[in-house]
Amino acid sequence: MAPEPNEDDGRWQEAGDHATSETIPTDAIIRGTDVVKEYETGGQIVRALKGVDFGIAPADFVAVVGPSGSGKSTLLNLLGLLDVATSGDVRLRGRDVSTFTDRERTRKRKETIGFVFQSFYLIPTLTALENVEMPRMLDRTPTKTRQRARQLLERVGLGDRLDHYPDELSGGQKQRVAIARSLINDPDIVLADEPTGNLDRDTGDRILELFDELRRDENVAVVTVTHDDYVAEAADRVVTLIDGRIRETESRRANFEEGPDP
Amino acid sequence: MAMSWLRRVTGRFPSVVIARRNISRARTRSLLAAAAIMIGVVAIGAIGAGGAAFKESQLDRIQEQGATNVYVSPGFDKEDRYFDRTDLMRIDETVGGAGIVATESRSMEYRVRSNRQRSLSVTYLDDPRRLHEVAVGEIPANWRRSAVVSSEFAAEYDLEPGDRIVLAPETDEGETAEFRAYRVTAVLAETQAFGVDQVYLPIEATGDRRYGQVRITTESVEEAEAAAAALREEFNGRKDTLIVFELTSLVRLFKSIVNGINVFLAGLGSLSLLVAGVSIANTMLMSVTKRREEIGVLRAVGYSKVDILRILLVEATLLGAIGAAIGIALALLVVLAANAIFLGSPFAFTSGSILYLVGAVAFGIGTSLVAGAYPAWRAANERPVEALRG
Ligand SMILES: Nc1ncnc2c1ncn2[C@@H]1O[C@H](COP(=O)(O)OP(=O)(O)O)[C@@H](O)[C@H]1O
Ligand SMILES: [Mg+2]
Repeated sequence: MAPEPNEDDGRWQEAGDHATSETIPTDAIIRGTDVVKEYETGGQIVRALKGVDFGIAPADFVAVVGPSGSGKSTLLNLLGLLDVATSGDVRLRGRDVSTFTDRERTRKRKETIGFVFQSFYLIPTLTALENVEMPRMLDRTPTKTRQRARQLLERVGLGDRLDHYPDELSGGQKQRVAIARSLINDPDIVLADEPTGNLDRDTGDRILELFDELRRDENVAVVTVTHDDYVAEAADRVVTLIDGRIRETESRRANFEEGPDP
Repeated sequence: MAMSWLRRVTGRFPSVVIARRNISRARTRSLLAAAAIMIGVVAIGAIGAGGAAFKESQLDRIQEQGATNVYVSPGFDKEDRYFDRTDLMRIDETVGGAGIVATESRSMEYRVRSNRQRSLSVTYLDDPRRLHEVAVGEIPANWRRSAVVSSEFAAEYDLEPGDRIVLAPETDEGETAEFRAYRVTAVLAETQAFGVDQVYLPIEATGDRRYGQVRITTESVEEAEAAAAALREEFNGRKDTLIVFELTSLVRLFKSIVNGINVFLAGLGSLSLLVAGVSIANTMLMSVTKRREEIGVLRAVGYSKVDILRILLVEATLLGAIGAAIGIALALLVVLAANAIFLGSPFAFTSGSILYLVGAVAFGIGTSLVAGAYPAWRAANERPVEALRG
């Protein structure tokens, strides 16, 4: 397979001479080279990622697809600094993440990453507004945090549900709260692992639409694992994982206008 | 605005807010855990502080009865079973400035009427005023053939100064008693003090100036202890020439017995706190197991291990604090009652009882903190990837 040519402003380059060549942005926030991840369960070693290269640039919109068990969640965990690679090189803004202590990784995660999960994981004792504030609750800036949380909830269309508890919200509304929560720390990247997995088709489509809007409005890169076809159209790139290897990377970057939105 | 003010305050202590919400989530379970702590706190607080009040009341009684006095009598190794003038001088020298009063006690027959007599205890001494206060009448410098009687005795036999009482030394079976009349010259004031005899006679009346007991009066419990120690050192080096008895040693014995019992009972109370600790640990373990994913999310969005640890410890502590607060309120009621019964006023808290109450609260909260440590540590160290693998 031939590497794809640089398409636009030269931010793309070849990923070297790996078997799975990929286009990786040069100004990547996080980038990985020949990343391997193994799990050990019951004395058996499972190789979930078998040497993949990746990179996420600012305001990227990347869809990760592939069959179940192909390593999509594993890849997202590495991107989100929730886990460390068994081998290979993962760098956050040029810094080798394997040198980070747990404390540093936690701090970087807070500064850089937002998470959206398939099962929302909202805290049932907190209202929508408080759930959005939650990542910043220990920051002792309650007034600023509340302002921003309110703004984000309004942005995702829940301005009238601020004081509702999670069990008073529909699945789509819960996921919107979760998306607002993922943005409260002004991250560079939002990682979403099958965010539409528990939603019906229409609701899921609207959630993905929201992601597409947000990554431009909020200047945040979005990496989402999905089975949804809609994403294939919306995403800049579609990364297909099969059995721990990247099989193809489809770049649709050219479909979007570059530069600041009006 | 009140709301925003409240928010600013609670915003300062977010872990408390989070903890409070979590506690109210599983209300029944939380209440049961807090109730266990409450029982422990009540047990320790009520037993300890109530016991302290009881001890104080008994101590007061002993003090009143002359804990500043030291009593000395001839020891088993003393050849003569009495003190003579030389002995008294040596004792006087040994105790320095303290006032000494030598007495001799004997049983006598008191003839109430010509056909009725009873046995009573008589104290011979130089001057009764050095031991007791006089209520009516007076004691002449030379009070030979006079008697001084206690107020009780005077009341019982309707005596007043000027009356005569007829006494005889106790005799063995068969011997005839030699009765002599004494004029009552004074009646002593009523007193609670320990060791007040019924009738006092001048030492000359014994005929031999031998004393069976010496009382040493000091100004304070410490002086009494010092005097007793000096006497023991001077007289009881190799042989037990003196029996030295001071109420302070009784006080000390009593204190150590009551303290021992109190500590033992409060220790039983602490056992109930141990059970409470198990309950808190169990509650917290269930809670963190149920919230495994939630804690995983907290970790994912940037809460450090220490943050999680703190939140959960605050939660356990809050559970304990709720239990301890209710417990101390109940314990206070018990102690107020104990104070009222033993010390005459519900608010007569002794430093000992306050110590027990404070200790009970501290112990209750401390138990919760320790009990919450393991669940909190386990939850904080769970890898978020594992928690979130669903
Ligand atoms: N914590 C783990 N322990 C053991 N094996 C794991 C663990 N996480 C994932 N795996 C294995 O790694 C492979 C990839 O898993 P995952 O990344 O979850 O795939 P996907 O998200 O694409 O379904 C699977 O075979 C899975 O069983
Ligand atoms: Mg997965």
